Amino acid sequence: MDELLKILNNVKPGVDFEHEENIMEDEIIDSFDIVTLVSMINDEFDIEITPADLVPENFKSAKTIYNMIERLQNEV
Amino acid sequence: MLINSIQFILFIIILLLIYKIMPKKYKWTVLLIASYIFYFLNSSKLIAFILVSTISIYFVAIKMQKIDEKAKIQAKNIEDKEEKKKLKNKAKKKKKIVLAVGIIFNLAILVFLKYSGFIAGSLNTILHINLPIFKFILPLGISYYTLQAISYIVDVYRGKVEADKNIARVALFVAYFPQLVQGPIGRYDELANQLYNPHEITFKNLTYGSELMLWGYFKKMVIADRVAMYVNGVFADYANYSGPIIIMAIIGYTLQIYAEFSGGIDIVRGASQMFGIELVENFKRPFYSKSVDEFWRRWNITLGTWLKDYVFYPVSLSKVTLKLTNFSRKIFKTSYFAKIVPISLPLLCVWLGNGFWHGSGLKYIVYGLYYYAIMMLGKIFEPVGKKIISLLKINVEAWSYKLWQMLRTCGFVCIGMLIFRAENLNAAIQMFKSIFNVHNLERIFNGEAFLIGGMTIADIVVLIIATVIFIGISIAKEHGKNIRESFAKQNLAFRWVILYGLIFAIIVFGAYGQGYNPQSFIYGQF
Repeated sequence: MDELLKILNNVKPGVDFEHEENIMEDEIIDSFDIVTLVSMINDEFDIEITPADLVPENFKSAKTIYNMIERLQNEV
Repeated sequence: MLINSIQFILFIIILLLIYKIMPKKYKWTVLLIASYIFYFLNSSKLIAFILVSTISIYFVAIKMQKIDEKAKIQAKNIEDKEEKKKLKNKAKKKKKIVLAVGIIFNLAILVFLKYSGFIAGSLNTILHINLPIFKFILPLGISYYTLQAISYIVDVYRGKVEADKNIARVALFVAYFPQLVQGPIGRYDELANQLYNPHEITFKNLTYGSELMLWGYFKKMVIADRVAMYVNGVFADYANYSGPIIIMAIIGYTLQIYAEFSGGIDIVRGASQMFGIELVENFKRPFYSKSVDEFWRRWNITLGTWLKDYVFYPVSLSKVTLKLTNFSRKIFKTSYFAKIVPISLPLLCVWLGNGFWHGSGLKYIVYGLYYYAIMMLGKIFEPVGKKIISLLKINVEAWSYKLWQMLRTCGFVCIGMLIFRAENLNAAIQMFKSIFNVHNLERIFNGEAFLIGGMTIADIVVLIIATVIFIGISIAKEHGKNIRESFAKQNLAFRWVILYGLIFAIIVFGAYGQGYNPQSFIYGQF
């Protein structure tokens, strides 16, 4: 989780991501930031986020992003 | 059958009666048959194209689902994780090929019918060859239903929705008549169940739906068709006009297209609501936008979200863009540019797609690239803008600053509309130049400048009053007021006065074509 928070703060400094509950829908991270965010997450966690994963439900909070990462890591 | 014709209203009334008396089980088939009758009345033999598209996406979706199901059954018998992964990747590859065939097939029909003339013409000019140039009559709503068809198979590929086993249901999703004329572009997960579930015809839906339709007719016939007279007059003879007249024509066209497109959407959303089917909003007061980016999130919303979900994200997550992202992170480290460079490619695809979707011709490519340039420059200079704001201690929350942002956005949008409306790119450039070349100023003072294209003083008065009402309603909605709910709470006498007033305004003040023919829709030609 710490690595993810570090990435999020890198993409959008100055946001309290630990407590944000609507990151994508409130456009705290817009579609432009998503490209950088996904690339960094892919590299850090060795997963492949696809367009199907880019839905608001997965990007509500740091926790939901982390859940998505775990799901993709465990996916066979 | 135009949606602003008496025939369309009669069509809706008859359909409502049939839908009401039909047993629940068959209600959706009424909508399917009606949609195909509507299509045939508009495009006759060209109905074959929508049929072919429907059949193709039906089989593509079923095939992808079968690949998935087969892989799942096979995976059950495999213990090894790596083997399972291999199997999954193999199935994914197969699905990708099937999906690609589906997309290419549907796009090929659209490209052939809509762009082959432009492509052949361009090749003839560039390569000095002599390819034949065909000009086809476009099947109704091909640009809308093709995008909708593609979204369905992509959503099945992504596992967002399941492939529908009933081809008639897929046919209704693709051809549902209200959205064929000019959108909104629906999504299977939002629309399909609404279409297939039986709905009761309720008094509330009938009232709300017909009110929305009336409001749409008012915008289309009283505002858009009237201001169109002035706009057409200036654009047809632009060489004779300059300065304020050109500016008025550009603003007039912006008003025309907004009133017409949003009015048309209100008509079809209202018609659909009467059957209990809610179509998504396509406009959210776009002229309140404080940036061009925001404008496109409020204007033709369903096209924007379609391009985001099916062009921007796939291109953003493509290997090429991810490589570009890594490269730019290495070069620019954590600087702002590390974020800007990677989005340049997906954004270019989105805006080229937007331009092409609007039409075939150089001006549409320029139209798309114009917005691409604004978006990219806006992003590149964002830090500079923030620094200037902080240096000059500008209060960004002040209403005057927000007003400036809105006016600036309007200015950019109006220039875009000029490119879109002008006969060709050269005419757009000439018109833009002539804004700054003011002559014949006396036309303004003697009133001649306002009476172009057959406009009379009465037309101008009606247009101003109608536009003020339009803006007033928009302001109320922007401030969170639900107009129809608030209207429903008013006394019966007041409601009838307003409704009769609206009907009266449409009949008396609606601008009609020759012989009181209804005028077609700009966005209905796509």
